[in-house]
Amino acid sequence: MYNATNSEQQLLKALAKGDRVATETIYKQQYPIIKSWLLKNGSSDDDAADIFQESMVVLFGKVQSADFTLTCAVGTYLFSISKNLWFKRLQQQQREPGRLYDNSGDDEDGGIAYEEDLNIHHEREAHFNQLNSALDQIGEPCRSLLQAFYHKDKSMQEIAADFGYTNPENAKTQKYKCLTRLRKLFYTVQAK
Amino acid sequence: MNTNNVWELAEAYLAGTLTAAQDAELRSRKETDEVFAAEFNDSINLINSLHGAGKQKRFRNMLQDIQLQQAKPKRIINFTPAFWRTAAVAATVALVTSLINYSIINGSAKRNNADYTVISKQVNAIANNQKNLNKIVQDSLLNKKPVAPPSDVRRTGTGVALTNDGYFVTAYHVINDGNGDGDSVYIQANDGAYYKAFMVNYNVESDLAILKVEKKNFQFNKGEVPYTFVGTKAALGAQVYTVGYPKDDVVYSEGYVSSRNGYHGNKNQYTLELPAGHGQSGSPLVDAHGNILGILTAIGKAGESNTYAVGSEEVIDLIDNMPAGKKIKLPKGNKLGRLGREDQISRMENYTFSVKVYKK
Repeated sequence: MYNATNSEQQLLKALAKGDRVATETIYKQQYPIIKSWLLKNGSSDDDAADIFQESMVVLFGKVQSADFTLTCAVGTYLFSISKNLWFKRLQQQQREPGRLYDNSGDDEDGGIAYEEDLNIHHEREAHFNQLNSALDQIGEPCRSLLQAFYHKDKSMQEIAADFGYTNPENAKTQKYKCLTRLRKLFYTVQAK
Repeated sequence: MNTNNVWELAEAYLAGTLTAAQDAELRSRKETDEVFAAEFNDSINLINSLHGAGKQKRFRNMLQDIQLQQAKPKRIINFTPAFWRTAAVAATVALVTSLINYSIINGSAKRNNADYTVISKQVNAIANNQKNLNKIVQDSLLNKKPVAPPSDVRRTGTGVALTNDGYFVTAYHVINDGNGDGDSVYIQANDGAYYKAFMVNYNVESDLAILKVEKKNFQFNKGEVPYTFVGTKAALGAQVYTVGYPKDDVVYSEGYVSSRNGYHGNKNQYTLELPAGHGQSGSPLVDAHGNILGILTAIGKAGESNTYAVGSEEVIDLIDNMPAGKKIKLPKGNKLGRLGREDQISRMENYTFSVKVYKK
């Protein structure tokens, strides 16, 4: 059984926090190899970046849980996910995959590995999409306020200043009102 | 806290700031009041989802940003005015050489032997000269000397060599100030030349980073580093000094250990009565015997001369936990112990240097 080395484990923990240096390290290490494989298999430059970033997001989602385990090296994992995503995209586009070039470094179940991780990823994406569409429906200033707090990671002080509330406490009260509206919208959308 | 507000409750619950009593109250209320329990759970889930979605969004933006940076041409050698002169000379020499060659070939029919040798010597001399010039141009462009880094300097700090072959330590915030900017790091060694460096290990909490100079066979100076890192805590009142680069020239300052612990009682730090300023992050904290006790990382409020340093134990810790294949062996012998302060500093100077972080 593969055990992630200490440094890799450390890197992934930093990645989970959204640390720029760790993310960039992984990006620079893995992207060239995966990109060259994708290009050989008929993707464009833009597609390659897109697929690779998606696989990074899958990894990011996976390492969020405190007890995540990676049964292979980071590179192998990203490679498998990227391949998988690319094949799916080809299928969607009804195009035959090109010849498989380099399968070295793959597990036995190579291309279809980590199906479960991908399923979880797609579920999460669908969930986030629902949430975003609910956010789009609640109207202003709620939408901007919640986005400022949750998406842009702004503090209540900043938000109070940006939105013209007299103090953070008032902004907070408004935030709670917005959350209540969002909750109502979101769970009725979900129930449908 | 207004426990009627389910959002306040949910936020406190997620942040883990509920008191035991509040927690117990919440539990019993959830058990008895089904409507409340459902509402509370929905609220928790919603907050979690919002946080998760936001975090992922920021991550995606960062990926996009990294991709954009990667897409830029890898290496643009800025043809700064400084190189124009050398380049112009090289070009002229090349032109003259080719003209002379032309004249040799043309004049060969009626050539005079004596003239020929002379000329060929000249040609050789010029060719040599040209070779030299090319080499200088190449050297300055590729190997050494102000390969003028990408653009404006963002931050500067000080670095201390760990080993002579290019590993050094500095403060993590010099490399990454938390704004998530992955920038390029150069050191400016004492000969004035810039060398690119990359990070090999770091610890955000202790605020330390270990980097290595990229250039192959790089050496800070002749011979191994003359000092040792000492992990044991120095006594209160110990006389200490530091050398660092708040400006382009190295600056010396001295003081004493004023408290065994650091900021807010941080056990891994020292508090020092030692004047220091911006740019001195990463400077070595040295005792009278030339032992490095720690690395300067922060200063206190304006008006105080409090300075904080991370103890060398943390440096040693970071070295012990290096990624595979990047082991550092610190030299064991301290060659500064018997030297006077001035001599210590002049030796030290060869192994401390300015660290400059540039926007990519």
